[in-house]
Amino acid sequence: MHFTPLPYLDPGSGSFLVQLAIAALLGLGVAFRASWGKIKGWFGIKSKTDEDDDDSAK
Amino acid sequence: MTTQQNNGQIPASFRDPSGFLFSRGGVLYRQVNRVYSEDYKRLIDSGLYERLVKAGLLIPHTEVDQPPIESDSSFKIIQPERVPFISYPYEWSFGQLKDAALATLSIQKRSLKAGMSLKDASAYNIQFVRGKATLIDTLSFEAYREGQPWVAYKQFCQHFLAPLALMALKDVRLNQLLRVYIDGVPLDLASGLLPARTKFNFGLVTHIHIHAGAQKRYAGEDVRSRRASMSKQSMVGLIESLEATIRKLEWKPAGTEWGNYYDITNYSDSAFEHKKQLVGEWTKKLKPALVWDLGANNGVFSRVAGDSGAFVAAYDIDPAAVEQNYRQVKSAKEENILPLLLDLTNPSPAIGWANRERDSFGARGPADLVLALAVIHHLAISNNVPLPQTAEFFAGTGKWLVIEFVSKSDSQVQKLLASRADIFPSYTREGFEAAYRESFNIREAVEIRESERVLYLMERK
Repeated sequence: MHFTPLPYLDPGSGSFLVQLAIAALLGLGVAFRASWGKIKGWFGIKSKTDEDDDDSAK
Repeated sequence: MTTQQNNGQIPASFRDPSGFLFSRGGVLYRQVNRVYSEDYKRLIDSGLYERLVKAGLLIPHTEVDQPPIESDSSFKIIQPERVPFISYPYEWSFGQLKDAALATLSIQKRSLKAGMSLKDASAYNIQFVRGKATLIDTLSFEAYREGQPWVAYKQFCQHFLAPLALMALKDVRLNQLLRVYIDGVPLDLASGLLPARTKFNFGLVTHIHIHAGAQKRYAGEDVRSRRASMSKQSMVGLIESLEATIRKLEWKPAGTEWGNYYDITNYSDSAFEHKKQLVGEWTKKLKPALVWDLGANNGVFSRVAGDSGAFVAAYDIDPAAVEQNYRQVKSAKEENILPLLLDLTNPSPAIGWANRERDSFGARGPADLVLALAVIHHLAISNNVPLPQTAEFFAGTGKWLVIEFVSKSDSQVQKLLASRADIFPSYTREGFEAAYRESFNIREAVEIRESERVLYLMERK
């Protein structure tokens, strides 16, 4: 694993490893929320998590 | 005015090799370097630029035909829309820093959808434009490469998450750590200061406590040889986790004054209206472009001055007042009021490399008009600043001054004197006028109805 091109800020070895360590968990969370959204969709409940736009700085 | 080098280059933008800001003929430009040309084209061609600008998340710019400062490296010169007033994270209320953080994450999510990613997440890249947290660094984007972690994760946690968590869960005044640590609050410091219960909060335990531990444990270690990668789904998960953690952080100003600032003053309604009327009349006559309201409280008089079309930086020392003012800006969608935190007796200094990266309070002026309403007794009596020195200070901050003299017989001043010796024999209306005549011409002096106070309009000599 390496950065291409190398970043101009040092991303920090520890900061890099923490992300890799929790990556799988975070990915699962996203997958779960997506499926849950679909399930809710079948019952006609609109999902709030798909924040395409206008969700900044509320 | 803003600090700049001989060739016009702005010292705040030297770190990123993608380009830099420079000023020419009073206009601000950004040189985009050749090394950044691919990313710049992608930002524009992918439609990301347009979407972000439309959402008010990125400062708009135009490509211009200006000779570059460094022609060998130059790809393009762009002219960003001018930000009305530059402010810094240690001058923001909790809500402002939170909105700046959420704006950054929203930009990152939209970038990922367009195949790009933020290569930095500095709070200094966010400014309040038309009342909204807006990214002002057009060169913060790079192509997203599947598998790579977020390079700006550490910076985001230091600049946003750590100070917000400290403000919400420990003490709101800890935002002042940002004034000392220009690259954000070190995570080991935040981890040590946060209450132990934050270790049971998934977001805070991972992004601050474990993150701080990992930084210490793996400092300087070469991690490039590791065969791990981070999928795009995980990257989205990371951003959503940061977002959820930040959304849950709340700060509600405590104390009975909340929402009732003007109920605890000694003003009658008629005196208050009279003061508003005078400030309104004078600002309409002067038509200032930039007003500094020093001691703005929750912004009642800033708004009166703002009605003349001016942009008003509304400073106050009380984080609760600034927060309340900001919430009002948001709910009324006001575009010309910028609430900011400032201790007038110790204003923001110039900080950073060679003390030239972030301007001091004074260097961001002078304002066309300064409002100093109900502050003179705090400066002269609570803080022992001699009146001539206050006059000199105000003369350095603005061309015109609307200042309220609060006499010793006023009940608010009596309160200040209740627990201390009265060592201020010259604190009289005559003494005040004599001190201010040194630096100003007094144009108007009106006694405020039903009060012990006088409102002055002065012009700097």
